[in-house]
Amino acid sequence: MFEISRPTSAIENSTKVKTKIAYINDTPFTFIPGETILTFVRRNLGENLVPTLCDAPNLDPFGSCRICSVDVALVQNGNAKAMASCHTPVLENSFIYPTSGRIQKLRKNIIELVLTDHPLDCLTCEVNNNCELQTVAAQVGVRDVRYPEGKNHVDRKKDLSHPYMTSDMSKCINCFRCVRACDEVQGQFVLSMAGRGFDSHIVKGSNQSFFESDCVSCGACAQACPTSAISDVFESKSIVATEKTRTICTYCGVGCNLEVSTVQGEIKSIQAPFDAKVNSGHTCLKGRYAFKFYNHKERLRYPLIKKDGEFVEATWDEAYDFIASKLTEIKTNYGADAIGGISSARCTNEENYLMQKFIRTVIGTNNIDSCARVCHSPTALGMQRTFGTGAATNSVVDLKYTDAIMVIGANPTEGHPVTGAKMKQFAMKGKTSIVIDPRRTEMAKYATYHLQTKPGTNVAILNMMLYYIIQENAEDKSFIENRTEGYADFKQHVLSMDMNELEAITGVDKELVRKAALAYASAPNAMSFHGLGVTEHSQGTFTVMLIADLAMITGNIGRRGVGVNPLRGQNNVQGAADMGCQPHQGAGYFDVTNAEYHAKYESFYGVKLPNYVGLKIPQMYDAAIDGKFKALWLMGEDNVQTDPNTNHVKKALANLELLVVQELFMTETAKLADVILPAASFLEKSGTFTNGERRIQKVNAVVKPIAGTKTDGQIIIDIMNKMGANEPDYNPAILLEEISKIVPFFAGVKWDELGDNGKQWPVLADGSDTEILHTESFKLGKGQFKKATWKESSELTDNQKDYPFILTTNRELEHYNCGAQTRRTGNADILLTDTLMIHPTDAETYLINEGDMVCVESARGKIDVKARITDEVKQGILSSTFHYPEVNMNILTSSVTDTDALCPEYKVCAVRIRKSKGKYKVS
Amino acid sequence: MSSIQLLLANDKKPGIKNYTAYRANGGYQSVEKALGNMSPDEVTEDVKKSGLRGRGGAGFPTGMKWSFLAKPEGVPRYLVVNADESEPGTFKDRYLMEFIPHLLIEGMVVASYALGANVSYIYIRGEYAWIVDILEQAIVEAKQNGFLGKNILGKGYDLEIYVQRGAGAYICGEETALLESLEGRRGNPRIKPPFPAVKGLWGCPTVVNNVETIAAVVPIINMTGDEYAKIGVGRSTGTKLISACGNINKPGVYEIDMTCSVEEFIFSEEYCGGIPNGKRLKACIPGGSSVPILPANLLLKTAKGETRYMNYESLSDGGFETGSMMGSGGFIVLDEDQCVVRHTMTLARFYHHESCGQCSPCREGTGWMHKILKSIENGTGKMSDIELLWDIQRKIEGNTICPLGDAAAWPVAAAIRHFRDEFEWHVTHPAEAMAGNYPF
Repeated sequence: MFEISRPTSAIENSTKVKTKIAYINDTPFTFIPGETILTFVRRNLGENLVPTLCDAPNLDPFGSCRICSVDVALVQNGNAKAMASCHTPVLENSFIYPTSGRIQKLRKNIIELVLTDHPLDCLTCEVNNNCELQTVAAQVGVRDVRYPEGKNHVDRKKDLSHPYMTSDMSKCINCFRCVRACDEVQGQFVLSMAGRGFDSHIVKGSNQSFFESDCVSCGACAQACPTSAISDVFESKSIVATEKTRTICTYCGVGCNLEVSTVQGEIKSIQAPFDAKVNSGHTCLKGRYAFKFYNHKERLRYPLIKKDGEFVEATWDEAYDFIASKLTEIKTNYGADAIGGISSARCTNEENYLMQKFIRTVIGTNNIDSCARVCHSPTALGMQRTFGTGAATNSVVDLKYTDAIMVIGANPTEGHPVTGAKMKQFAMKGKTSIVIDPRRTEMAKYATYHLQTKPGTNVAILNMMLYYIIQENAEDKSFIENRTEGYADFKQHVLSMDMNELEAITGVDKELVRKAALAYASAPNAMSFHGLGVTEHSQGTFTVMLIADLAMITGNIGRRGVGVNPLRGQNNVQGAADMGCQPHQGAGYFDVTNAEYHAKYESFYGVKLPNYVGLKIPQMYDAAIDGKFKALWLMGEDNVQTDPNTNHVKKALANLELLVVQELFMTETAKLADVILPAASFLEKSGTFTNGERRIQKVNAVVKPIAGTKTDGQIIIDIMNKMGANEPDYNPAILLEEISKIVPFFAGVKWDELGDNGKQWPVLADGSDTEILHTESFKLGKGQFKKATWKESSELTDNQKDYPFILTTNRELEHYNCGAQTRRTGNADILLTDTLMIHPTDAETYLINEGDMVCVESARGKIDVKARITDEVKQGILSSTFHYPEVNMNILTSSVTDTDALCPEYKVCAVRIRKSKGKYKVS
Repeated sequence: MSSIQLLLANDKKPGIKNYTAYRANGGYQSVEKALGNMSPDEVTEDVKKSGLRGRGGAGFPTGMKWSFLAKPEGVPRYLVVNADESEPGTFKDRYLMEFIPHLLIEGMVVASYALGANVSYIYIRGEYAWIVDILEQAIVEAKQNGFLGKNILGKGYDLEIYVQRGAGAYICGEETALLESLEGRRGNPRIKPPFPAVKGLWGCPTVVNNVETIAAVVPIINMTGDEYAKIGVGRSTGTKLISACGNINKPGVYEIDMTCSVEEFIFSEEYCGGIPNGKRLKACIPGGSSVPILPANLLLKTAKGETRYMNYESLSDGGFETGSMMGSGGFIVLDEDQCVVRHTMTLARFYHHESCGQCSPCREGTGWMHKILKSIENGTGKMSDIELLWDIQRKIEGNTICPLGDAAAWPVAAAIRHFRDEFEWHVTHPAEAMAGNYPF
């Protein structure tokens, strides 16, 4: 009968419906059916005419403060009734009086009542001059309170238990905004209202402190709270900033828009802007709170050159001269192909572009790779083979329009918290959700179907789904007919499989798989999301191809609410590949071995370029150990801690004649470098990041680079020029102009036109961007069905006998990858170390108690790690993270890689365990 | 007793609590008739024709409420019976459920059939714990005899009824707070729209009806809506249960046909039997604690000087200035010894205690009304407090999400309106007020 709409959705629908009239102060205005009185009044007469307290831009209308009440009459100057404008839809031909004398008196009286239970210590309050209650009180003109002093709650204690979140409930006005933010935005349900009436009070968890509760520190409540009842240690909402800068978060591929407050050149706090398309007022504890690393005392502040095993402080010129002469020497002695570079998906597009340009045009080799290799290289390859484009087909906003989601090998609530929160909200609404994961992740707990596979059996489970879809005639035959090729052969291949066999391999009940498959196939629109649990396997590329097959067989490509959507791990991993930091493709994904493209690159750069594929990261290590690869340039990556088989990596790096590392901190890798160049963090530089939905967004320098450091881009330019190039100083606008000339899907990207919310590539020459790929046809013309047969990883076939457990690796919300940044923030006070998830039965067998140190050993080595007993993992399966160098989990992981993209198999590692004797125990 | 007894005709019959006696006295005939000969829409139509108005307090026409129920394809619909009878002075539903439980179950089967609900709930006040057992026993018996469960009477209609206890909050009698509580959440009222008829229990179309309303469906179907509409007067059709209490000789639950006068109801032997000890009638709250109190003169005669009757229209004649409301039928009589200030303070304390705390005016305002009334009652009040009290109730009324705010404001407003002199006396005679030596 009635649906209440927020202004945006109401306006979206406005084109479809006939507009109607209502009157504000006797002046007619057209309203949008379903629109609330509040949005109607604000749209026509400005934001400030009607005050509110319980309303917030990213929350549903609630109607509890009643401050927004307005008089509504059915005839001009007729009998008016006070209505809460925030949740009352506009009635046609009604007469609205937002500021009648009666209403103003009502508002004043309500505020007066609220103030009877609120401390009047404004001058010393954190939010003084930034308090919504204060503003509204001033607006309605409360000058005194007629009530005598009575029972109140002003003596409530502050909660300062948490590294970030704070509360002072004496300031609470019971507006429920924090509770609603916790429920509606994050979906964590930590905050709730206890007690009744006058005794109503906010509690965390089961009346715990912030620290004890299940709070995930997203800060949505602090941002929502209109007073200082809930805030954070940075006083984010009330800080009086000298400058506010919009930029993009660097902690994952979601690409949250951030608003950073600085006071006289020092970063003080970060908020999430409500008008951000990606995160609309939300972000996670990494984005919002984990910024204090930027001026941490351990930041590298001058170049270091290793002399006789010791690092010695050097000037930039000394460092550059040293590197340039060493590189020239190695190039002369061993050839350009003895040199290589690994770019960084943490850096900007412009810096990545420069890095590959440096390696290709100045050094003269295609030995350029990036950390996409160790995460989503199989996605790029698998999707290129099936669709032609190695990028998400749709956008996260499509979650609003889809009917079913399938999440494979991804733990978005930890790894991609803002998108994860949206997915959780989706699943909590009871909509169809399928999770394929060896672990019972938070999403799995909410999902309709959880297919809890044995690690390394993704190809098998997806083949089962495809089998049942075909068997039950649930394919989208017209899509297959019109948009794809190779189906007949593919179908025959799938139907030849034995479901009982695959059921045994995956360890998942085939009936459950059948139901999940049909749920995906029968949904009008279904989206899939996948993460590193898909790619970091020996059959990663094959798994991606099967996910693409699933989308094609069910016709879930090319419109809103469908598609194949990799959840990119690093903030600019999409961009690093787009910019050509891959040994086989240059900027814009042109094959370096193709004569036409090779010629195009040579003429564009004006130099001779190699026309054969360079080394991928694992190949670089092997070549270094073989003595064929002599110099490596690392831009912002801690390969020793994060690449698998640590000892192998260390051996390779030790064998180099020159290792140059651009870093913020003395990482495990930096320790092995010959030269360390101190770089600037994302907060200190400008450029663009491309998020997981192909959105190119502007990164704006918030502060100048910390004294003694330079942006990564400038460092690369300096060394290029030192070695004979002629690059202007680092300037993203100029670089984007160059990039737009060589990368076709950047054709219309201009620095000045990106705005706050960026553009999704391909961006056409006229500047228009693209939300959904493959709407009419695929990049390849027709979609290509690709078949794949499950094969056990050699890690297991070789080692299972001696190492019966399977260790898989995962991520925790609090830390980001090697943790070089997050371990130097308050996040480290929340999550102190890596832990090993172990099933209770296994723990009992091995006499392991919660918190015991467990010795985990693989064919490569052994480590000690603290046990966390949980049924999140099945029996025989272990899981852990590699955030802490003290634990060094990657000593265990193997050098097995994806057969096609060479992405390492972090997710399957044969190990054995015992209770630790303390030998490897961390002190 | 009134000659017409539709609900309480058999309440004194031995064993009527149990199926056998209930059935022997004509029970479950309405189910046989409705499922046997009538379509769901015909049942709704009959209820519409009967003119039955909601017996919970608001008096909204029941048939109309049923016809508003949204019926989207593939979405379940629910009937929820509101048995959270918590209004001070109201205990009619308790009587019905305790002594004639099958009447409610029978009415629910017919109503659920009309609404197309296959699952229905009775949300019962937590303090009525012993009645839960009675209702559950009745449900078991109804199932055993084919009037409930799968394929009722072989007609292909399925219905399950569940009884859910509340946990002692008055607010959960408000229909949307009730739904929140039923879903396992904090009992806070929801904003409307959307109304329960569109988005109710579990987000599905839902009708919430009072116990007595649903019980009344049984005689309506048995005798037809047209016949039912002939009982009573004007838009007050059928019979109404009144729970009478206070200073009367015969407190209890009475079924009236809404044609008797207030005077007759209070003083006749058939009903309340007059005031004990020959005391004078001072005032009365005719429809449960939240409706306006009326002084004796305005109770027995309207402002126009006409006799006031025990029906919806007559009790509300004169609006809130000189009238009151039928409300939930909780009839509370005050004799000459009662202090209206003290009485109002007691009610204010109740609403203060029961406010859910969601809306600012009610959360804070009910507390201040209680505090100020307490201070006046204790003889520490000021004349300006009376104005402040008036001001607060004006700011609460109509300015909250649910009607609890109104319910808290009305008794205060009416007390000041009709008994201002008593408030003033408390202020001017603090010592006597403290001692409880009232001159009135």
